[in-house]
Amino acid sequence: MADLEIRGLHVRTEEREILRGVDLKINRGEIHALMGPNGSGKSTLANTLLGHPAYEVTEGTITFKGEDITEAEPHERAKAGLFLAFQYPVAIPGVSVANFLRMAINAKREGGPRDGAHPEGRTLKGTGRQAGGEPIQLKEFRSRLEHAVELLDVDRAFTSRHLNDGFSGGEKKRAEILQMAMLAPDVAILDETDSGLDIDALRTVAEGVQKLHDEQGLGALIITHYQRILHYVKPQFVHILMDGRIVLEGGVELVERLEREGYDQIRQEYGDEVAA
Amino acid sequence: MSGVGGTLSAAAPIEVKPGRHREAALYHALHGAGAADGRSLAELREAALDAYEHLELPVWRRSGFWTTSLASLDLDALRTTIDERSVPDVATRTLPDRPRAGRIVQSAGAVVHVELDEALAEQGVLLCSLERAFAEHGELASAWYSKRLPLDRHKLEAANAAFWTGGAFLYVPPGVVVEDPFEIVYAIERRGIAQYGRTLVLGDRSSEFRVHEYDVAENFDGPALHAGAFEMYLQDGARCRLAQYQDWGSGEVFDVSTRFVGVGRDAYCHWLPALLGGHLVRHHDELAVMEKGGDMAFRGVFCTEEDEHLDVFAVDLHETGPSGGDVHWRGTATGESRASFEGLIQIDPGSQRTHTYLQIHTMMLSPKARIDAIPSVLVSADDVSASHGGTVGELDETAIFYMQSRGLDRAAAVRVIVEGFFEPLITQLEDEPLEQLVRARIEQKLAAAHEDIEAYATSR
Repeated sequence: MADLEIRGLHVRTEEREILRGVDLKINRGEIHALMGPNGSGKSTLANTLLGHPAYEVTEGTITFKGEDITEAEPHERAKAGLFLAFQYPVAIPGVSVANFLRMAINAKREGGPRDGAHPEGRTLKGTGRQAGGEPIQLKEFRSRLEHAVELLDVDRAFTSRHLNDGFSGGEKKRAEILQMAMLAPDVAILDETDSGLDIDALRTVAEGVQKLHDEQGLGALIITHYQRILHYVKPQFVHILMDGRIVLEGGVELVERLEREGYDQIRQEYGDEVAA
Repeated sequence: MSGVGGTLSAAAPIEVKPGRHREAALYHALHGAGAADGRSLAELREAALDAYEHLELPVWRRSGFWTTSLASLDLDALRTTIDERSVPDVATRTLPDRPRAGRIVQSAGAVVHVELDEALAEQGVLLCSLERAFAEHGELASAWYSKRLPLDRHKLEAANAAFWTGGAFLYVPPGVVVEDPFEIVYAIERRGIAQYGRTLVLGDRSSEFRVHEYDVAENFDGPALHAGAFEMYLQDGARCRLAQYQDWGSGEVFDVSTRFVGVGRDAYCHWLPALLGGHLVRHHDELAVMEKGGDMAFRGVFCTEEDEHLDVFAVDLHETGPSGGDVHWRGTATGESRASFEGLIQIDPGSQRTHTYLQIHTMMLSPKARIDAIPSVLVSADDVSASHGGTVGELDETAIFYMQSRGLDRAAAVRVIVEGFFEPLITQLEDEPLEQLVRARIEQKLAAAHEDIEAYATSR
């Protein structure tokens, strides 16, 4: 069984069915690209994987490390080792990047659910991340932060600014990858992390992802509309999403084909299938 | 400041007042309405007693917004006691253990503890009960006592002026600079007490100091009253950072207080009340630039819960120019609590080159809580800038999901948002022990309201 396994996923939001039967398997150490035109359901999939309350799974399952997480709370999924880099990161005024990271690391380290918070006592087994429970030592935190800051090519002062508050588009995306580096997830979903980035920021972000893959065995699902980020991170698997279904799967050659032909050509080819 | 009468000028009366109709009549700046007028303390007490006997318990009302009524306060059931001898446990428990310049503690009607750094005493700093100040430094105390505080706007104000005992008096001589805070503590130990707190703080020329006031009560069942009157006058070039930590506990404590801070020539005051608990709290807090070049920052935080009722009238008064002002308050409400805030910028005629700004940000955290915030601006000079802004917020679900996706559970995410909301003001205390205390109390209140906050989120 793959680490992250999505089976027959149907999702609706605001009375509309957006995903109409998605199947996808992602393992640690694999880089997947999910491509598709606007409105195909890419962000819906990203948000659903982390349990956004506005998206309702009507059919199908999501399992992570053998555990069914279809109904799990977002923080339980995060603690199990999933991560979402947001397309539009949210400003958290009054909380510095460094403090937030410490909180998040400690939350992840915390043992099972809080007393009384989840009376049904739901836990995610086999993650190996809930044990320990000790808050991170300041020294260890600092050295990890320093490493991550170098990786992402950001100023050290960056980490004392309030998270995403007044950040430029590029800074927000760097902050996402910085968080990813610090939280060391098993599988990360990057939702259009490349949108709105200039080429330097794009390269930094992409190289960061690649390095985390190479060094830590990160598994990644890179969701993108365009091809350009894939010049810097090499996906082993490429999936094309259209109208709520994956219509085409393959290797990196699919990216090249998309570049040549565009989505319209593929839509014509697979349109019938999608409409069916 | 040793001269009788002082040098701070009284302001000309303004010609236009806001909302002259009956219901708004109580929301006016004090504006030079001090009762002293050359009268002795005994004469003032007598006048106050007379007013007390004639006045009814007050009602404050902002038509269509809120009503603050003391109808449920049974004055006859309360007693002012002066036989306390020891520092109440709640004060010992609450106050941070940290370096301080001095400390004065009043329990119920009696001052039970006074300490002052010896070196500061040698430099002429005075810290004692106000009663003792009248006995030993009569000229100084009389010159400033009630200079700007009236005594007959309502029954509890009159009661304070007539009945106060103990009291706190602080005098910082010219040029004396003190890093650690002077702590002034008003504590209520048990039910049934009426505490009439009276504070007078004088910062002489070019002095620099901090004052931390603590208003605390034990968690008892039943009613108590704190009717406070606070005045501070800062002479030429003096600088003060003033903060209040108010937490009257879970008892039925009524707090009806008036505070006035007068900023003299080129003087500066940074004032931050942290209003963190009380059954019914009604404050009139007025920060006035009384002479040219005066500047001030007026900050405030409040965090109401359960059935608490808070009514704050904060005034940023400019009696002359050039002067500067900057008012910034933040508050939240949980449970069925009610928080009402009115901020007034008032710029008198002739206060040219005054620049001031008022902002109030609030966050509603439960379906039955309510916060109202009214900013008003009264300008009677033309070469000025005065503006106001504010936000009324609710919990941002997107931000909560964002943090959850990083591993924080919902309650923790909510805490981060609300603490982050207050943080820009809390850090302005510029005093780590006090900051920690305020943060901890807010965290405690949020944790207690957790279920309530959840209910609100799911109801929307």
